[in-house]
Amino acid sequence: MTWLSALAPWQWAVMAAVPLAIFLLYFLKLKRQPLEVPSTLLWRQAVEDMRVNSLWQKLRRNLLLLLQLLFVAALMLAALRPGWSGSMGSGKRYIFLIDHSASMSATDVAGSRLEEAKRLAIQRIDSLQRGDVAMVVAFSDRADVKQGFTQDTRRLRSAVESIQPTQRTTQVSEALRAASGLANPGRVSFGGVNDVQVAEAMPATVILLSDGAFPAVPDVPLDYLTVDYTPVGRDEVANAAILSFSIDRNPEHPEEIEAYARLGAFGPMADSRTISLYRNDQLLDAATVTLSPEEESGVRFGLDDVEEGILKLQIDGEDALAADNTAYAALRPVRRTNLLLVSRGNNALETALATDSVAKLAQVRVESPNFLDGEEYRALLEAGEFDLAIFDQCVPKEVPPCNTLWFGIQPPGDGWKLQEPQGPLLVLDWDREHPMMQYLELGSIRIVEGQPLVPPESATTLLQSDLGPLIAVAPRGPFQDAVVGFPLIDHRQSPPTVNTDWLIKRSFPLFLFSSVEFLGGGVSLSHARSVPPGESIALTMNRKYPKLEIVAPDGKRILQDRGDQQSIVFSQTERIGPYEVFAEGQTQPLERFTVNLFSQKESSLKPQRELSLGEETIPEAVSTLWGRRELWRPLLLLALALLALEWFVFNRRIWVG
Amino acid sequence: MGDSELVEGRFQQLLPAELMGKLERMELVSRKIFRGRMKGERRSPRKGQSVEFADFRNYTPGDDLRFIDWNLYARLDRLYLKLFLEEEDLHFFGLIDNSLSMSFGQPSKLEAAKRLMAALGYIGLCRGDRIVVQGHSQASRPAKAHRSRASLPQLLDQIDRIQPEATPSFREAVQSFCIRNPGRGIVVWVTDLMDKSGYESAMRLLMARRMDLYVIHLLSPEELQPQATGDLRLTDCEDGDQREVSITPGLLARYQERLGAFLEGAKNFCQRRTISYLPARSDLAVDRLVNDYLRQRGLVR
Repeated sequence: MTWLSALAPWQWAVMAAVPLAIFLLYFLKLKRQPLEVPSTLLWRQAVEDMRVNSLWQKLRRNLLLLLQLLFVAALMLAALRPGWSGSMGSGKRYIFLIDHSASMSATDVAGSRLEEAKRLAIQRIDSLQRGDVAMVVAFSDRADVKQGFTQDTRRLRSAVESIQPTQRTTQVSEALRAASGLANPGRVSFGGVNDVQVAEAMPATVILLSDGAFPAVPDVPLDYLTVDYTPVGRDEVANAAILSFSIDRNPEHPEEIEAYARLGAFGPMADSRTISLYRNDQLLDAATVTLSPEEESGVRFGLDDVEEGILKLQIDGEDALAADNTAYAALRPVRRTNLLLVSRGNNALETALATDSVAKLAQVRVESPNFLDGEEYRALLEAGEFDLAIFDQCVPKEVPPCNTLWFGIQPPGDGWKLQEPQGPLLVLDWDREHPMMQYLELGSIRIVEGQPLVPPESATTLLQSDLGPLIAVAPRGPFQDAVVGFPLIDHRQSPPTVNTDWLIKRSFPLFLFSSVEFLGGGVSLSHARSVPPGESIALTMNRKYPKLEIVAPDGKRILQDRGDQQSIVFSQTERIGPYEVFAEGQTQPLERFTVNLFSQKESSLKPQRELSLGEETIPEAVSTLWGRRELWRPLLLLALALLALEWFVFNRRIWVG
Repeated sequence: MGDSELVEGRFQQLLPAELMGKLERMELVSRKIFRGRMKGERRSPRKGQSVEFADFRNYTPGDDLRFIDWNLYARLDRLYLKLFLEEEDLHFFGLIDNSLSMSFGQPSKLEAAKRLMAALGYIGLCRGDRIVVQGHSQASRPAKAHRSRASLPQLLDQIDRIQPEATPSFREAVQSFCIRNPGRGIVVWVTDLMDKSGYESAMRLLMARRMDLYVIHLLSPEELQPQATGDLRLTDCEDGDQREVSITPGLLARYQERLGAFLEGAKNFCQRRTISYLPARSDLAVDRLVNDYLRQRGLVR
């Protein structure tokens, strides 16, 4: 209950004088006309006829005064404007879902939409009644339970206060599922028997404070959930946004790089805006784009002599949402794999490694088996020069400290075993999911002779023949060893004979390219990947670097220990901007990626007035529910009722004297 | 000397001359026959010397020889005494309530009571009755009795001198009256019965004296139909009791109810005790009152 005085102090003083005056007037009493009568005998009898109950009479004597004072009291109370925010029944369960996605940072309402939502939530928490329990969940594209069910409004308030804006996109489904899981009983099936409800339903009201910038959620079972949706934000909000930004090589002029951006204008916005392009914070180019409401326009920049770096595209000027005014794209650092091919001479292999695609990825050094015995080889290995070594029917004394690919030979050590040569071999199946085997069609290849593999336990079989696995990959510490269990060219015979027709299939160079990419950790695309905020990204890095440092846009360095994993998954992509991956202690980045909003839903700031959740359409909550619940109207009515009662009593009083 | 000449000035109001003619033909009727003190014009329970024969009885020595019926002696050879009805005077007591409450009304109730009493007194004087008229406030003093028309002026003067004043309660006044007037006879009590201590004990007292009691209950139009309106502070003129009322139709209806109950109560009380109860309005003309009203009620004929 809060009070909101409607009167100034001096008006209150006047008001306070009223009951005093009534009191005085009551004691002065009504001036009655004196009249002498022969006897009051009959009058007295007539009056006392009805005065049966003297106690009632005593009360009645002052009833008018009492009623008048009550009337004034009701008026004064009404003038104080007592009220409270909202009204909810007691013993109910409430789940506060508060959107803190990127669009909630829009500044179209005082503070920001998130501040407004938090204010509304706290207002509502204040109006919780005894016995009500509530929980607080902040959601963007994921749900974050800030406070579990509690009656403690202080904790609920601080949980709401603690919600920070994010730059993430919005997905309400996870939050709703969490709420639904709390409200709706789980079901269990016992073979063939109907579903059994295993817990009691706990009906709850979801108080959803959001701008509704999320896709329809068709598959959330609401059942016992009642959704009370209050849109936050104004309808007419002007916002310009970069919806996509990418760089690519001009196919016609490979040396030229083009940057494309798609711009969107939302709300009542019609003006031309300057778009600036920066590279490593230095202005490269600028363009003026005319934006018309609810339409998209494109902008293109041609860039020469840009080998690497971070490109930033910015819409100049201010609008309601800042997060979508800047977009980043990164040119990946140039880095090629050092590849060693040890072979007695294999044209097919050398040709396949000499393609443009592989050339971009790797620098190939071809050596004969004698090289393995030399000092240079040992020195290069110690320096960690090679990322990938391919051994074609020749074997070093020990497995080198890098990724390896073996053709028709058993790697040294105990890990791998090759069976006796058998043939012919028929390909039965291959692992189409593995990065090395993607896009390969191997069903038609013929193999004269091969040695089925007995790979280590941790190995993944990539190609299965009728007699056993033929290609497998297995980890070895931080490295990977891939073994192909058949030679491409049989050097045991003289002259060497072709052992398989795979060499003339398209799948062969593709396999080698994929292998180089997967095992060598090369970089083939010039532009770095971009993910939405909060989404995790998988980074495939050379295993030479066991520890990686990722520098976030705010300069925060995040140390990531990759362990035995080929690729690391980085999930701290909260902030929009460029991220750079460094090997520990190095100054040149190994990899770059960017985080951009690129979301039409988030950039279109018009709040949704109704939501489609599950099978229901949730309309906007009635706004009066949110407004201050005022008591002055009922108080005024009470005053009127008192006045009527007073009139009645007054008349009754005359009636009986 | 005409009787009307005696009535001058102020008496004219009490007893208008034109009324006197009518009254002379009337007489007071008592439902009971009383012994008088003097020979009057009425039959007395005593056998006496009037012309009206009453009975015979045997002669006993010592009887007045004049009353022996000689004719009967001649026939029967036995002495019988002829008895005649004695005609005696009637004792008429008029008791006027002269409490302050009687001063209300136009003309006032007291005025009406005085006129009524003057008329009744005149009737009595014409018939040779013994007339005593007193107000409540004079009840403690012995009153002069009037017997003949000649004393009409004195009677009127006595009546005229009765003025509204603070009076003792009904019971005290009646008690004093009874002590001072020991005889039996007709008592006409003109009163408004408005005494907060009640009229019942006063009436019982009179009945205990075996009086032939007539109660003329005189109420003014203001009392019968109050015309007051608005918010009033009513003051009782006798005891100063104050009542604050706001006149509404509802209250007036209730007042009428109480008034009806009051009149009914008095009537019932009187009927049970063979008291003649005569309600009357103070604005009723005296000749009508006496001519029609009292005649109907049997007080006069």
